[in-house]
Amino acid sequence: MSKEKLESIVNALIEAIVEPEIYIRILLSLVLLGIIIALSFWKKVNIERSMTVSFIRGFIQIILMGSVLIIVFSVKSLLILYLILIFMCFFASVTVAGRYKYPGIFKIELISILTGSLSVISIVIFSGIIPKPVSGEYVIPLGSMVIANTMIITMIVIERMYSSIKKSKGKIEAALSLGDTSGNALKSILKESYKAGLMPSINRLAVLGIVTIPGLMSGMIIGGVNPVIAAVYQVIIFLMILSSAFIASIIATKLCIKRIFTNLDQLNMNLLFILEKEENNNR
Amino acid sequence: MDIIKFKNIHYSINSKLILKNINLNISHSGVTGIIGPSGSGKSTLLRIMNRLISPDSGSVYFNNKDFKEINPNLLRKQIGLVTQSPNLFEGTVKYNIKYGPEIWNEEINVSEEAEILEKAGLDEEFLKRDVSTLSAGEQQRVNLARTLANKPKVILLDEPTSNLDIVSEEIIESTIDRLNKEGIKFIIVTHSLEQTKRITDNLVFIKEGEILEHTETKKYFKQNNPQSIKNYFKKTGDGL
Repeated sequence: MSKEKLESIVNALIEAIVEPEIYIRILLSLVLLGIIIALSFWKKVNIERSMTVSFIRGFIQIILMGSVLIIVFSVKSLLILYLILIFMCFFASVTVAGRYKYPGIFKIELISILTGSLSVISIVIFSGIIPKPVSGEYVIPLGSMVIANTMIITMIVIERMYSSIKKSKGKIEAALSLGDTSGNALKSILKESYKAGLMPSINRLAVLGIVTIPGLMSGMIIGGVNPVIAAVYQVIIFLMILSSAFIASIIATKLCIKRIFTNLDQLNMNLLFILEKEENNNR
Repeated sequence: MDIIKFKNIHYSINSKLILKNINLNISHSGVTGIIGPSGSGKSTLLRIMNRLISPDSGSVYFNNKDFKEINPNLLRKQIGLVTQSPNLFEGTVKYNIKYGPEIWNEEINVSEEAEILEKAGLDEEFLKRDVSTLSAGEQQRVNLARTLANKPKVILLDEPTSNLDIVSEEIIESTIDRLNKEGIKFIIVTHSLEQTKRITDNLVFIKEGEILEHTETKKYFKQNNPQSIKNYFKKTGDGL
């Protein structure tokens, strides 16, 4: 990093910290915290302490994150940007693996999120959908939204697929027992699983601007961007999320099917047993 | 001649041994019954024959050919399985009948569909019916017809009449008898000693994953008092 660049980053940080308006805003927002604490006292919910601690902790974390973002946003090296995105995919997969105990889920999520998100982000970067020269300012926020949503949607798809397989075990085996392939026997289950994962985002896209003004658009408008330009970016992000999630879901289900069926088109009974045990533990 | 042979078969699931060193030759002709207490491994034997599962060790042969040398999907077409629950696919009876042949890109016309249904004891009118409107007995006959549509050489029946009334049971049994005379080999897992007596030519008695007896049905019932057989089942906790 050049000396000039470093100086500009430090300047940006100082500029934000010395801005008096920011402290007034923080103080005013504390009124809302006061309302929560007052309500808690009144209704004897007893969350005053945890609320205050969470607020201070979250506030410090997000300010620190904001400072990091100043540095990240100034990154113009594609290699570093991709490394940051890969780290985000890795972290998303670790998070999922911690939550769901499905066999091989970390590897499945990592491969599918990496492929889905990075392919779509690359299209956006290299096709010129986002302004050139490419910088972290666009790539990281867009990337984080794509990766986070891809993670959520693929997990919905995987969960739905596994639960449908368990529920329809008899019908799947009926199809297999007639000589059908595992892929064919699962056709309708996969169709339903993809729909379950993607439909909430498709519905949000359909009511865009009338019922909802989503996060990215709101943020850009608050940041002073022309609302029409913000709207265009919002549509782009939805398309990015849907395409990335669809690609990732197809890869994830394919990898799951490889585990749940043997290469002789048999259901893997040991894996089914593990899945059922996992479901019982979650109840 | 033996149509299916088991040689030193072991099968376990989650470290629990279900089948222990099974050696069994099933003859080409007649109806073979597999009887034994609950949890003795009867259904597992059928699932191995349809190759829905593979044994941990040992070999299974179909017409003297090792299962491992046969395409598993093709093997399932030739050795069909009719389960206790019909597990019909959502849609019409016609859709269910055509499901198997369509996997194999085989054309099946309306008269053939009607013929298959007739073999399973249902008339042509049923083709258009939605499976959700059928009685349990009718569903089970569609289940049998669905397997028949694949033109299998062997049909495995896993307690096909245990959820049915006496009339439906009689229809299924007479269908088995008729189709067996037409050359289809039947292997049936049943809980009912009476049914075993009525429709099987030879039987395999299995207990705790081991074959205790494999003999002609008539001979077995001649040599053993029915009450003593029932008692034997009861001792093992079965609800006969």
